Amino acid sequence: MTVTHSAPEIATSQSGPPSPRAGRRTSVWSGLWPLAVGIALAAVLHFVLPRLIGQYYSRIVMDIGIAMIMAVSLNIVNGMTGQFSIGHAGFMTLGGYAAALLTYYGSLSIWGTSLRHGGFLGVGEWMFAVSCLVGGLVAAGAGYVVGLPSLRLRGDYLAIVTLGFGEILRVVLQQTGKVIDDAEALKAAKWSQFFPPPVGGAVGFDGVPKYTDLFWVYTFVTITVVVAYRLKHSSLGRAMISIREDEIASQAMGVNIARNKVLAFVLAAFFAGAAGGLFAHEAGVILSPKDAGFQRSFDYVIMTVLGGRGSITGVMLAAVILTALPEMLRDFEQYRLIMYALLLIIMMLVRPQGLFGIHEVWQLWPGRGPRTAKKKT
Amino acid sequence: MARPRSSNCEEEDLMSANPSFPNTGTPSAQVESGKPLLLVDQIGIAFGGLKAVQGFSLNLPAGALYGLIGPNGAGKTTVFNLLTGVYQPDSGEMRLESRSLMGLKPHRIAAAGIARTFQNIRLFPGLSVLDNVRLAGQLRSSHGLFATLLRTPAHQAEEESIRNQALELLALFDLQDRANEPADSLAYGHQRHLEIVRALATGPKVLLLDEPAAGMNSQEKVELAQSIRKIRDRFHVSILLIEHDMGLVMEICERIVVLDHGVIISEGTPAMIQNDPKVIAAYLGTASEAV
Repeated sequence: MTVTHSAPEIATSQSGPPSPRAGRRTSVWSGLWPLAVGIALAAVLHFVLPRLIGQYYSRIVMDIGIAMIMAVSLNIVNGMTGQFSIGHAGFMTLGGYAAALLTYYGSLSIWGTSLRHGGFLGVGEWMFAVSCLVGGLVAAGAGYVVGLPSLRLRGDYLAIVTLGFGEILRVVLQQTGKVIDDAEALKAAKWSQFFPPPVGGAVGFDGVPKYTDLFWVYTFVTITVVVAYRLKHSSLGRAMISIREDEIASQAMGVNIARNKVLAFVLAAFFAGAAGGLFAHEAGVILSPKDAGFQRSFDYVIMTVLGGRGSITGVMLAAVILTALPEMLRDFEQYRLIMYALLLIIMMLVRPQGLFGIHEVWQLWPGRGPRTAKKKT
Repeated sequence: MARPRSSNCEEEDLMSANPSFPNTGTPSAQVESGKPLLLVDQIGIAFGGLKAVQGFSLNLPAGALYGLIGPNGAGKTTVFNLLTGVYQPDSGEMRLESRSLMGLKPHRIAAAGIARTFQNIRLFPGLSVLDNVRLAGQLRSSHGLFATLLRTPAHQAEEESIRNQALELLALFDLQDRANEPADSLAYGHQRHLEIVRALATGPKVLLLDEPAAGMNSQEKVELAQSIRKIRDRFHVSILLIEHDMGLVMEICERIVVLDHGVIISEGTPAMIQNDPKVIAAYLGTASEAV
């Protein structure tokens, strides 16, 4: 869906030298319409899809959306800037905990219950949406801290730092206190009970209100994809990609490598944190410290590798495949990791650049790709 | 940094300027009186015990076209790396229009107005030809993250102008028709051209060219010589170039600095350099060394 609505913009950035937009007046609307269209589509999905394919498959579509946010945001770090981060689930879990902390204790103190409050676009949902953004900001702060070593480390060494971040977070979350589970107890609670925050320790954060639905997931998918796409096709994004291509030449061209690397981490962590918020409020999910571990991170790394570094549509497709596949193969669940490993090996042999390489899906069509577009000035 | 190179057959050209170059441009005297644009005073760097460059000084006036020559391993590229901040000089002082460049990171020096090309081509292979050039737009971009993400009208207009400027620059070497091809699909000579265009896109005051003619045939070298002059005149940049093709250097450079073992052994007009016994000795060896 996001592919189609960004297609008209491609005409300006990918076709031959004379831009069709050059003479046209640009307006504020041109900056906002993809978001509006995406959110409208999300609303359509929300109301139509469950009736068409039922609750179970709608749920899978929701998981796919969250995976898309994760993969597309990770791609800003791994694909565009060329860093190798394998701690993305850490940011997700941190954001998830932060968002859940807000909605859970917020609901409990305002409405006296941690259950869902209000209907579609009701007060509760807005509180949830804001919490997801706050979760994103918390994760972005962590992204800044984790991004700093990326200035000195690269490749495997940086990967180990990011891996370490996820593991440290997992252990820290295990040390947190018990969830305070009713309004009276919350009122009586002393300040000391909030340090460390009462988010359930090793058993996980149970009782988080269940707000996540197709509308909110795909609203966030829209925001993530639009941001990633615009970043990729802007001066800022080109600066990031140039770091991936050649750091020394990039510096010589005036690119502030330190700033761009950290910015990539912060941005990616923000969306991962927001995705964590969505994940934490999903029905049937109990957020637990092990979500911050490397296994989940690895799932997202595989998506970016499979999709192609820097290809937004590529990693979205990979997110669809790798989220749907385990559901299809439920009976063989224990072989999931073997399947992933095999898939990766096959990809390395057959298509080392990923499904789409550095291209987007529409560039693979004849006549649209950069190799074929040769208009004269 | 200084590095060994296998073949080195241009030395004989040192004594006789290559006749294949039409003798159009002449070293102009009025440049000498120009205000110093880039002033380098006694910079040096040592890697452990190896003194790669010592006491290197240069006074590059506005609009000048100077050459930096020397045998392999003399430290020419190290000088470029010092000037662009890749290495920090151990000592000395560098100023661009009286602003000190000491201690600045490479990207700050690029922003200040020194651009370079690389001896081994360092394009961004995965980016298109156009993107290689318009990357420089981020230097001048006045819009931050949020303008980019919201794609504000002002931001769109700016991206459009960056794009048009990049295409204009590409036209300099007739590359505009290949703007959307990946940079690594270009032929070798075109890649060298693209590197120069890319450096120009940063809007430099000083352009450092590291062996721009390497790997080119004599016809391409003649064209390159004309292009370099054209660039100097049209963009009002000062150019310092490293080159092993003595014909090219003697032909287009107004003054030449000769480096050997990290120190300047001679400096002057091409005619002076050609007759300097120290230069001849550095290239061909002295009688005692030769035996």
